[in-house]
This record gives sequence, structure tokens and C-alpha cells, in this order.
Amino acid sequence: MLKLIAPFVILFAAIFAVVASDKPDPPADFTFINRGDVTTLDPQRMSWMQDLRVARLLFEPLVRLDVMTKDYEIVPGVAERWEVSEDFRDYTFHIRDDAKWSNGEPVTAQQFVYSWRRALLPETAADYTALFQAIEGATDFFEWRSEQTKQYAVRARDLSNEERLVESQKLWDEALAYFDENVALKAVDDKTLTMRLTASTPYWLDLCAFVVFAPVYEPLVSQYEQIDPDTGLVKLKLGWTKPPLLIGNGPFVLENWRFKRSLFLRANPDWWAKDSLDIETIAIPSVEDGNSQVLAFESGSVQWVSDVNADYRIQMLADKQAFYDENREQYEQLKAQGLDAFAIDAALPDDPRKNIHALSAFGTYWYNFNCLPTLADGRENPFHDARVRRAFAMCIDKQRICDDVMRIGNIPARNMFPPGAIAGYESPAGLDCISDAKNEAEKQAIIDKAKALLAEAGYPNPAEMPRIELLFNTDGGHGIIAQQLAKDWEEFLGVRTFLAQKEIKVYKDDLKKHNFMTGRAGWFADYADPTTFLDLNRTEDGNNDRAYSSARYDGLLDEAKLETDPEKRMKILAEAERLIMEEDMPLVPLFYYVNIYLFDPDEITGISLHPRLQQDLFNIDVLGDGKGRDQVKNIYGKDQN
Amino acid sequence: MLGLILRRLIQLPIIILVIYTITLTLSWAIPGNPLEKPEGRQPSAEVIEAMKRQYKLDSFPAFYTSYLTSATGIDYIKDGLSGERKRVREQAEAAGVAAPTSYIFNLGPSLQYNDWNVNQIIAGALPVSVVLGLTAIVIALIIGITAGVIGAVKPNSIADLTTLMVALIGISLPSFVVGTMLLLVFAVVFPVFPVGGWGKLTGLVLPATTLSLPFAAYIARLTRMGMIESLDADYIRTARAKGLSEMKVLLKHALKNAFLPVLSYLGPATAYAMTGSFVIEKVFSIPGLGQHFVNAVLNKDLFLIMGVVLIFASMLVLFNLAVDVLYKWVDPRIS
Repeated sequence: MLKLIAPFVILFAAIFAVVASDKPDPPADFTFINRGDVTTLDPQRMSWMQDLRVARLLFEPLVRLDVMTKDYEIVPGVAERWEVSEDFRDYTFHIRDDAKWSNGEPVTAQQFVYSWRRALLPETAADYTALFQAIEGATDFFEWRSEQTKQYAVRARDLSNEERLVESQKLWDEALAYFDENVALKAVDDKTLTMRLTASTPYWLDLCAFVVFAPVYEPLVSQYEQIDPDTGLVKLKLGWTKPPLLIGNGPFVLENWRFKRSLFLRANPDWWAKDSLDIETIAIPSVEDGNSQVLAFESGSVQWVSDVNADYRIQMLADKQAFYDENREQYEQLKAQGLDAFAIDAALPDDPRKNIHALSAFGTYWYNFNCLPTLADGRENPFHDARVRRAFAMCIDKQRICDDVMRIGNIPARNMFPPGAIAGYESPAGLDCISDAKNEAEKQAIIDKAKALLAEAGYPNPAEMPRIELLFNTDGGHGIIAQQLAKDWEEFLGVRTFLAQKEIKVYKDDLKKHNFMTGRAGWFADYADPTTFLDLNRTEDGNNDRAYSSARYDGLLDEAKLETDPEKRMKILAEAERLIMEEDMPLVPLFYYVNIYLFDPDEITGISLHPRLQQDLFNIDVLGDGKGRDQVKNIYGKDQN
Repeated sequence: MLGLILRRLIQLPIIILVIYTITLTLSWAIPGNPLEKPEGRQPSAEVIEAMKRQYKLDSFPAFYTSYLTSATGIDYIKDGLSGERKRVREQAEAAGVAAPTSYIFNLGPSLQYNDWNVNQIIAGALPVSVVLGLTAIVIALIIGITAGVIGAVKPNSIADLTTLMVALIGISLPSFVVGTMLLLVFAVVFPVFPVGGWGKLTGLVLPATTLSLPFAAYIARLTRMGMIESLDADYIRTARAKGLSEMKVLLKHALKNAFLPVLSYLGPATAYAMTGSFVIEKVFSIPGLGQHFVNAVLNKDLFLIMGVVLIFASMLVLFNLAVDVLYKWVDPRIS
């Protein structure tokens, strides 16, 4: 018997040893659950919201957006001042003297050139290369480099190992020279950075505030670059994004990063604006499961859940509504005082039901229409005709999708942008849909109009139309939306529908290859300019899954590029949006996305309510922890009192 | 015994090669582009092409051989012999930086998590899964054998029926239900244990218990069956006739034989407990290996799929070998 017990004793000892040797992070001032696991902390390579959120803590671009102001004011970052030419094409930035890296070294203009050049190399595989291509000569450089390395890969097969080493290095030197000569991005001196853009870009400052435009520390990162003699490409080795190696210039430094476990950040004593911080440490544990996230919050181990996706969030939101109803009088009073949602919550009596917050996000959920005359398998595509697209777009009860299917407070979308998200831009009215009808007669009028459009397009009897296929991916709740949509079209138009549910990669492949009739899609804005959505519908754009092509639309976008008066430019863009939202309908927006937060408004302040919904966690203050100012932050919209 | 071990060790690379070939062929056939991010921003066509060249994703035979040589350590030996590793090291020293880590078994980069390679991911996740899995198996053994013995002593008694029923529930209840309920009771209502995460012994209790239940149930049934059978055997009557205490009869004589079926179940069960804890990892936020089995396939992260499959295959073969050796040790009559 002892023979059998002995191994268990040893086993238990080993388990104790392994677990005990594993030191968890110390408790942090502020602990939150990010939207997902961080995939990379290399600013030029990232595109996921969770990566960008952490990167904004570790790196600081030339300028910043003050997310606590109504118009997302541009405020100085690494650059203390800047000059913009009248035609919005020439920008000069002056870097502050006290901008330092976390190792104490100064931030220089050359480091920006180095970092932005990285983003323009095809081998860096930057998701946002296109944004950098606004700089004059940048597109040429990108294409030139792609072509050169492609040719080299063929050439290298006949070279010996030694020759490859020499030749690949030569190729790289040529690339550097080409960049210096042709790309209009220059470090005039250590502290002055200038750039000339291909077109008038009034929102360039907004882009420069995007953390993908933040600098990386050249002496560190360049050590991790290696020229691959076989392909001539610069290979980036892993490692520099992890502590203790990572050197940043942002408000925080990364002290610990354990894959799929946690990140731990500490205030950067070398950051020029460190006095504005109200917390010293931030912990980001990785909690994947939606239920566990809520439990972690309820047990007090995290203070903010940034994306509540537990199924019962619908019930939680209903509970909050009930809480408001119980305190209706006080609620209305506070609202009348002009307080914003968080301030109202904070002023209402203490109750766990008020910790959940549904906020509209800067993103739109829509259905694509394939605009090609035939489908990939050669069948006729009814959505080739804009009249058919309009008819289908009208016969949707968007309100019902929001109220009965989504049930988390989404607002039906009439056009591509959530209202108020872009300062100075007015979206067109858009098409009326079923839920815009105030009574049965109006509803019938919309249906009749849609049927007339179908008849004009050659489908007098919708039941005889080819079966309408709706493409969507499994998971994520897209199935029930598709079912409701199909039901609407069957009910109002009398067409036959078919739900094509596919695994996400297959679904994406089908969209890319235009192998669909109509399919689910969505987009979150990258920057505050209408082009962040409108460019998606340009002919030949890499994200134009709809294969929509309109000379007039492209022309309007081109015209906007040349227009130097920002006001006129916005008008041109609004006309472009009107074209796709009222006439051509390559897509039909259903609703704006909603993001659900979980935090105690009595405890946490510094979370922004702006529809762009960017959260800069260096604004956070934990109230009553004795650190920082411990004052409710003046969130935008709140009165001056 | 030595022969057995040798024979199995020689079989190991052949089994692994077959598994490698089948898995790679299937993973290659998964539709969709591994370099594309369905929900994120799309890299441009030029970028995808450059990446494909870099990772050899443009040709199956090239990828098949290059991944095989790098994962099996052939590349490592080759680089050592040709002096390539020395050259890289000297180059790094000349530049005044630390040379990049070179892995003997290089499992490649992760296509989904840009900042990590598969070796790092597995090195972080495997110890967690091993500890969690082993703890769960130990708990399962303690619960299962105790329940099985109690049941076998008085078959069809209330105690027996109760344990059988609990075992049935243990097998039938999905672990996300058990896990969430345990969390709710022992972490939120009575905050005895942490809600999730890794790094504390107390944090191991709930997930290990949840993971152990189906195994415990199965072990209980195996033990009960074995015990009932061996308690009827002649040698037990002899043992009792000798005047041995009932405890000794049960634990020393009967259990030893009844344990054999449990033992043969333990090999695959341990391997499964260490890698098949996907749901438990999610519920308790444990950074283990199980999630990568599922997520890597969904993301078509080719290198990560191959890495975890190779590790799992090796573990399965080695555990079965260990069980065979243990078998011989417990019952030397088995050849």
C-alpha cells in the first residue's frame, strides 16, 4: 500500500513547490479586465482595441486626444507645439525638451522617422500602413519595397550563402536611401519633425494622436531586427515588447506581462506629465469567460469590466432601468441639472444595480449587399440593382431588432455614423425603414414603395425572386439578428430566404471573394473623420467586400481630398454618404454598437462617455483610496458647478 | 521491462510523425487564411504575400519539411554543426546585445499573438496544466477509490446507491455548470477562495475539484466493480480465515487487484486532465494549455496547432508507457 501512496506524496510536494514558486502580482491601485488578451505591444503592428488601450499607457504619440472633453480636443503629447499649413498638407511638430523614454533618454524626431518607416515596410505587417500612406511618397516607398523584395526572393535562389548576406544588406541600404530621398517625412533636427501630405488632411492631427503613430525606442528595437538573407526582408525577432526590456515614453511602464495571465503597470517617473496621474499601479488580469468577469467584479477583485458579455447582461440592464424607475424623481432632477450619465449614477443612492452602464460606441452594425451582377458561382445576383438594395433596406424593422433581439439599448442606425461622434459633420437623413412608420398606413406605404422598386427592377412578384441568402458567422449572436432580418423580408416583401451560417474564417473568405448575396458586417471607426467609414466603399478598396463601384462616389471622395476648406470638405463627404445611404445602398446599417461597462460610479472616475468611447486609463482616479486628487473628474457634459 | 520501455521509445517518433502528417494536412485544409484577422483590420495584399514568403505558408511541402526539421531539433543540430549559431552569437556580441534565444525544438512563432512564439506559450501554459491536471487526478483518486470501496463493501446499501448516484451526477453535469456553481458559492457568497486566476494554492482548489469530478465518478465505478469481484474471490476468503482485520483484507488484498483497471484508465485520464481542461480554464481564468487546442484551430494559428498537438501526442504516448511500467510493478505476472 505504501508503494502506492509514496508517489502521491511526492506529487503533492511537487505541486506545492510549483504553485508556491509562482509569485502573483501585488495588488494594484486600479484593476480592470480588458476586452481580450493583448496580442502585441508593438505600436506599429497593433490594431486590436485591447492592444491599443494598453499601448496608450506605455507610449505617447506627438499629440493626444483629451477624451474627457466634448470635442475630443487635441492636446500636446510628445510635441509641445505644432504648425499646420493653410492647405492642411504641411505639418511641423516641435518635440518638448522633457519628453523622455523610460530609461531617461530624450525622445527625438529621428525616432519618429524610424518608427513610421517601420510601419511603411511591408514585412512589418502593420495593419494600419494605409494611414501612414497619407505622407507624400509613402505609397511609392511601400510598393517599391514590395517589388524589390519579391524580385530579390527569386534572385536569391541562385546566390551562395555569402553572396546572400551581402546582397540582402545592400537591398536594405537601398531601401533606406530610397526612403530618405522620396518620402516627405524629415527630422530637421533632434526636436523638429516635418511632413508633407499627398492631400489636404485636416484630421491629420487626430491621426497623429493615434497610438499606432507613437514612437518606439530605436536603439532597442533595431537590435531585434535582422535581415533575412533568403528573402531580403527585415525579420523582427520577439522579445523587446516584454519587461524588463520594453522601453516606452508613456505615462506607465510595463512591469510584468505574463501571457494569458496578467499585465502589471506602474507609473513612469520619467513621464513629463506624471503629476497628472492619480494612480500608481494598474493590473490587467486575463479573465476570458463572461460570467467569471462579472463574478470577479462582484467579489471586488476587479474595478472595471470593459466589455460585459455575460448573457444575463440584458437582465442587469433591466435591473438598472428598474432602479432608475424607483428613483425617477431624483433622476429627472439630476438630468435637468445637465449632469451626464455617470454623474447621475454617482449622485443616486448607493445600489449595486447602478454599476452597469450601456454606452453607444463609435461603430455600426450593418448588412452588406453584393453589388456584382453575378455571384461567384455564376448565379444571377438580384442585389446588383440599386433599386433592389433600396427595397430590402427599407423593409427592415430596425427598432424591433434593437428592442427584441439585441435588448441592450442599441439605437437603430439611419446612416453610417453614430450621431455626434464627429465634430462638425452632419450625416444625411438616410432612408426610412419599417420602424420609422408612425402608423399602419405609413408602414404599408413603405412596403408598397419597396415592392414598386422591386417591380421596376424586374421582380413584379417578389416570391419568384431567387432565394435571398444571408451570410453570417457562428457565435457572437449574429444568428438571431439574421433570423429576424430574414423574417422581416419574408413578412414585408414575401421573398424566400436562406440563412448561411459559416465559421468565421470561412465567412470572411466568402465576403472577400464576394461569394454572398447579403451578409453581416460592421466597422469601428479608427479616427474622427467620415473617411474612416467612407473609404471602405471606394472602388478597389481592400475592405470593399460589397464590390460597390461608383464613379460619382469616388469622385466626391477625391474632391474632398483636394478641398482645403474643412467646412466645405465635410459637406462633400456628407454628399458622398448621402449617395450610399439614400440612393445606392451598398450596405444597410442596422444599429450602432453598444459597449457595456461594469464599474461603481462612486468608486471610479475618469471614464469617458464620448461616443468615440476611447478610454485613456491615465485619467482614472480611484475615489477614496487616499492617492491622487480623489475628486470626481469633470466629465464632459457636466456643468461647471 | 527494459525491453518494453525501449520498444515504446522506438515507436514514439513513428507515432509522432504519423500524427504530425495527419494534423498538418488537416490544418492546412482548414478554409481561410491564417494571416487574416476576421474581426480586426486587414493587412494589405502585399503584406500577406511577404508574410507568406517569410513563414513558408505558400507551399505545403516546404512548410512540412521546414517545420518538421525545426520542431524536431534537426535545424538546431545543423546550425550547431555549420557554425551558424556561433556566427549569430558573435554578431550579437559585436553589437553589444544579448543573442536571441535559440530553441532546440523550435515550434515557430504564433500567428495570432505576435509578441510570443509557440515555445514561450507552451512553456508558460504546460506547467499550469500539468499541476492542475495532476491535482485533479489525485483528488479524483481519493474521492473515487473511497467511494468505490464504501460502495463495494455493502452493495446496494444506501451508502452504495448514494455514491453511485453522486457518481452519475459527476459524469453527467458539464463542468461549466459545476465550476460556475462552485464559484458562486465559494467565491462570491462565501468568499473562501479567489474567483479565478493562477498563482495561489487556494486558487487551485475549485478548478481542480471541478476538473476531478468526472474522473472521480469513473474511478468510483471502476473501483466498485473491481472490489465486488475480488471480494468474492477465494484469496479473500483465505485472508479472512487467517484472521486478518477487515481493513487489511479490504485495503491490502482486495483493493490491490481491484485497482488494476483504475490504473489502466489513469494513463489517458491524466493526459486528458492535463490538456482537456478548456472549459475549466475559461471559467476559472487559468492560463493553461487546453484553451490553445481550441483557439488555435479557430484562429488557424498553424504553428500553435502543430505545437500543442505534438506536445499532447508525446504526452499521451509517454503516459501510456508509464502506466504499462506501473502495471508491471503492481502485478509482476503481466508481461
